[in-house]
Amino acid sequence: MNLLIFTPVNANSSIGGVTALVVHELIAQGCHVVVVSTESRDLIIAQCHNFATWILPWDDELVIRSLIQSADACIYQIGNHFAYHEGALRWLFEFPGLICLHDFYLGHLFASWAELNRVHADFILDQWYGSELARQFFTYSDSQSFIHATSQLMPMTEWVCAKADAVITHSQWGCGRVLKACPGPVLVVPLPPDSIIYPIGIGGSEGRTLNILAIGHVNPNKRVEDLLEAIGASQSLRERAILRLIGHIEPAVRQSLMVLASGLGVNLVIEGVVDENNLINAIEQCDVVSCLRLPVLEAASGAVVKAMLYGKAVIVANAGFYAELPISCAVKIDPDINNLQLSSALEDLLNDKAKVRRMGAEARRWASETFTSKHYAHQLIALVARMHSVIPINRALVNICLMYRHWSPVRAFLDSPEIMHPLRIFDITGKDI
Amino acid sequence: MKIALCSSYVPFIKGGARNIVEWLELMLQEQGHHVERIYLPQVDTPDLLFQQMCALRWIDLSMADRIICFRPQAHLIPHSHKILWFIHHIRSFYDLWHTPYRGFQDDYKISGFRDALHHVDDVGLREAKSIFTNSRVVAERLKTYNRIESEVLYPPILHPERFHSAGFNDEIVCICRLEHHKRQHLLIEALRSTKTPVNLSLFGVSSSSEYLHSLVDLISELGLTSRVRLDNQWISEEEKVSRLSSCLAAAYLPVNEDSYGYPCLEASHSAKPILTTTDSGGVLELVDDGVNGYVVEPTPLALADAMDRLYLDRARTVAMGTQASEKISAMRISWPHVMQRLLQ
Amino acid sequence: MKVLVVNNMAPFVWGGAEELAMHLQSNLIISGHQAEILRIPFQWEPSRRIPSQMLMVRALEVANVDHVIALKFPAYLLRHPRKTLWLLHQYRQAYDLFDAGQTNLPTGSAGHELQSVIRHGDLQAFSESAKIYTNSEVTRKRLRKYNGFDSEVLLPPVNDPQLFPGGIAGDYIFAGGRVNGLKRQYLLLEALALADQRVRLLIAGPPDSPEDALRLQELVERLDLVDRVKLDLRFLPRAVYASYLNQCAAVAYLPYDEDSLGYVAMEAATAAKALITTADSGGILGLVKHQETGWVAQVNPEDLAMAMNAVYTCSEQTSCYGQSARILWESMNINWPETINSLLQ
Repeated sequence: MNLLIFTPVNANSSIGGVTALVVHELIAQGCHVVVVSTESRDLIIAQCHNFATWILPWDDELVIRSLIQSADACIYQIGNHFAYHEGALRWLFEFPGLICLHDFYLGHLFASWAELNRVHADFILDQWYGSELARQFFTYSDSQSFIHATSQLMPMTEWVCAKADAVITHSQWGCGRVLKACPGPVLVVPLPPDSIIYPIGIGGSEGRTLNILAIGHVNPNKRVEDLLEAIGASQSLRERAILRLIGHIEPAVRQSLMVLASGLGVNLVIEGVVDENNLINAIEQCDVVSCLRLPVLEAASGAVVKAMLYGKAVIVANAGFYAELPISCAVKIDPDINNLQLSSALEDLLNDKAKVRRMGAEARRWASETFTSKHYAHQLIALVARMHSVIPINRALVNICLMYRHWSPVRAFLDSPEIMHPLRIFDITGKDI
Repeated sequence: MKIALCSSYVPFIKGGARNIVEWLELMLQEQGHHVERIYLPQVDTPDLLFQQMCALRWIDLSMADRIICFRPQAHLIPHSHKILWFIHHIRSFYDLWHTPYRGFQDDYKISGFRDALHHVDDVGLREAKSIFTNSRVVAERLKTYNRIESEVLYPPILHPERFHSAGFNDEIVCICRLEHHKRQHLLIEALRSTKTPVNLSLFGVSSSSEYLHSLVDLISELGLTSRVRLDNQWISEEEKVSRLSSCLAAAYLPVNEDSYGYPCLEASHSAKPILTTTDSGGVLELVDDGVNGYVVEPTPLALADAMDRLYLDRARTVAMGTQASEKISAMRISWPHVMQRLLQ
Repeated sequence: MKVLVVNNMAPFVWGGAEELAMHLQSNLIISGHQAEILRIPFQWEPSRRIPSQMLMVRALEVANVDHVIALKFPAYLLRHPRKTLWLLHQYRQAYDLFDAGQTNLPTGSAGHELQSVIRHGDLQAFSESAKIYTNSEVTRKRLRKYNGFDSEVLLPPVNDPQLFPGGIAGDYIFAGGRVNGLKRQYLLLEALALADQRVRLLIAGPPDSPEDALRLQELVERLDLVDRVKLDLRFLPRAVYASYLNQCAAVAYLPYDEDSLGYVAMEAATAAKALITTADSGGILGLVKHQETGWVAQVNPEDLAMAMNAVYTCSEQTSCYGQSARILWESMNINWPETINSLLQ
């Protein structure tokens, strides 16, 4: 397989670091890889990661163009920082490819790109978010309010993913927008953690307490309530378990959970969104991590994998990717959550801290052997092959949309059942076209 | 009934499938049906094929009671009562994929395209109420590649009652296009090694002047000008009937053809045995060695030997000719059968 | 050259455009080209299907063709670098018939959207064509009015002029062509009742429906015209039609507001027969000049009767008118070799 990989190469880029590890593996697995550095021209690169192959600058038009023609796929590493990804955008918009999406939120990337492409940018905002929101995008006076407003309603994920023939994302947060925009397959593959150094000690709480950490976007969904009720149903859990929630939470939901916990006599701590360091601290301090949501895709949640790499046992729903976790490190609960089962499982953990620590160690061992850059490279290669069976119909549809655009806005094309319905036969990914 | 016959084509290129469609049209009309023939242009390149397949999906033939689809990708035209008389796949992406005839280099793009095409064909073929093929060879391919069953329905020729036997002279005729893969050169080489005064007559047009000239040269080099007649023009139906009626036998030995080919059928209707080779593919669905013709190794000597046998053992030759004629009804190669199967 | 004639197909329907395409093909071949006809199925009911039909044509790929001649919407959307339009039909239901409320496009915004899609498609097809011809003045005017494009009128020639040498005038006026309300053969019968006794009428052609035939038969009965009228209401074999025409005294053709000259009129002129028509008949007035090549009557039985009488009043004059009709017709230079030259420019 011939791969052209567009990535930051700077030694201080963590995306560059991870990509370098993956490139080594791709080469080991028999691929021919050429790397294109995507940093802005005025960003001085003092030192590069070691990619073990040629690195070309993104503005060498003729050479890059010719490499693209002979490549089996272009792979674009995309993150939120324009200075690192300018080159990727330049080529992505002309030649769709496989995107490794490192940040779901791309507001800053878009804003910087828009400086030189304002008219086009306005059009894009209007197309994805409607004229009302589009008007507001460039009106925020400070960084905080900009992030706050745009991360919820205009994260710009779609703008980039619409140009992808396939996307690898590293966690399922925000996947909804990716799925909506990308016409090809979307895969969640946790980032190889090789570059991250894990503490040797396992951490965890002292004594007879059970510190349960739940990470994720706390929807008003049953799952946290199930946890609360499971804990509330057992006197020993009520007395000695603490449930800590990390992740985005609506004020109304926070309120109602606190009330519920209080009524049940459960010790609940809600942190909300925290930064990476605090997240790592929270993981280190807990005994077990809960992720009871049913997975959207048959792949790993980045947070759960991270927890396992930090040596924590996990509590998961017995479905999808999670069904494949070994029971030596994962407590699996029936997908139609049975509170009795959950309560009993938590009591087992509470009463056998040694077992909790053993499971955590096993989790670390298993995860670090499974979620390697070798695994990532393998998934990437498989996705490239799979992507090529979706590209023919997607290209055909683009051509036809271009034909239609001479007669009517493209929206009408997609909204017309007379046009779209007979094309369902081409639905190879099982998604709506 | 209102019946639409649907096929793909390239303008100004006359393909073999046109006969199946156009003769079926005539026969259906004779039975009182209303027939419409729909030929849509198609270019078989990977970067354009899916776009054209979308076009096929938008075709509305609901005013027809049923549609019958022939060449790919016509089988994707939607209809509540769709019947396929499947002639062949787009072979580069099916049975020719692992051969030097694929025509595309193997890379991920083309492999991906192939997967996508297989998927869409798998679904599209299953939309049909019934699937017929023109030979066992093609039925096998549908089974192998698309895991779908089909029924063999052999295409008859138009007005077969025109053909008859008026005796057996010394001439072996070969009436088909003069192309390398039809191997007229092999017949000429074979004639050189015959021991009897059997003659050879070749009729047909050629798309390759190179091949044509090579045949002319070969005849001359081998000193066979008095025994080989090479008639490089389109033969009229009347002359064809006449030649076949008086010949000793017909020869037809294409390389690995999909189906038996009209020349064999015409010879059989004329009650003449057929000379062919072991590697002629679909021809062997019609010809059994020693029963209605000879099937020999594709070498000049083996062919020469068969030619001599045809010449010398006349009684046998005549008997095989009769068998050839009877084989047609045994195999149910007839328009009544075709109509019955297609219109059930 | 390899020329592809592209037309719509309404499956199982065969009409004038299909005939024209066939004659165009055979004459292209006579002129030394290779020619084939591509008929593309077109389903316009319900109207919301029309965009998908347009896309279907647009998404087709054509190889091995040097020149395309396209006749109708949406067939003329076929992509090809050398394309000539011989416009027989736009989708009138998006244009003049839309204005007249006789359309299958819905009311309201849905209808306007469809109209817009069709107009934009037409704009594209017209812009990318090397040359645009129309088959009548009316079509040319409509194209100019609604789409802003200029075109040249290219009238379809008579398909087999050698069948119409003319001949000695018989004693009947011949009314040929399809029989239906718009063709108004009934008007001729009403006029015949008022005309001189010696006037005879032959109405021959396929009725669109049994009711159309019945109407004429009943009228003949009611007006007591049985011995002066012959009705031959069926699809006529060409030879029969030709003999009716060649042996008549004059030809009557009076449709309501028709686009084109009409084959009956062209064939009559080829056979040097004088023509009777009415003032509101439309395109045929290009060939019928009152008291020069025939008679143009007002739309009432009395006036029409007068014209019919005039045929018999002076047979020399009638014959003269017929000759003038032929001269006028020939001066229009409407024949297949010229037509093909124009189309392939």
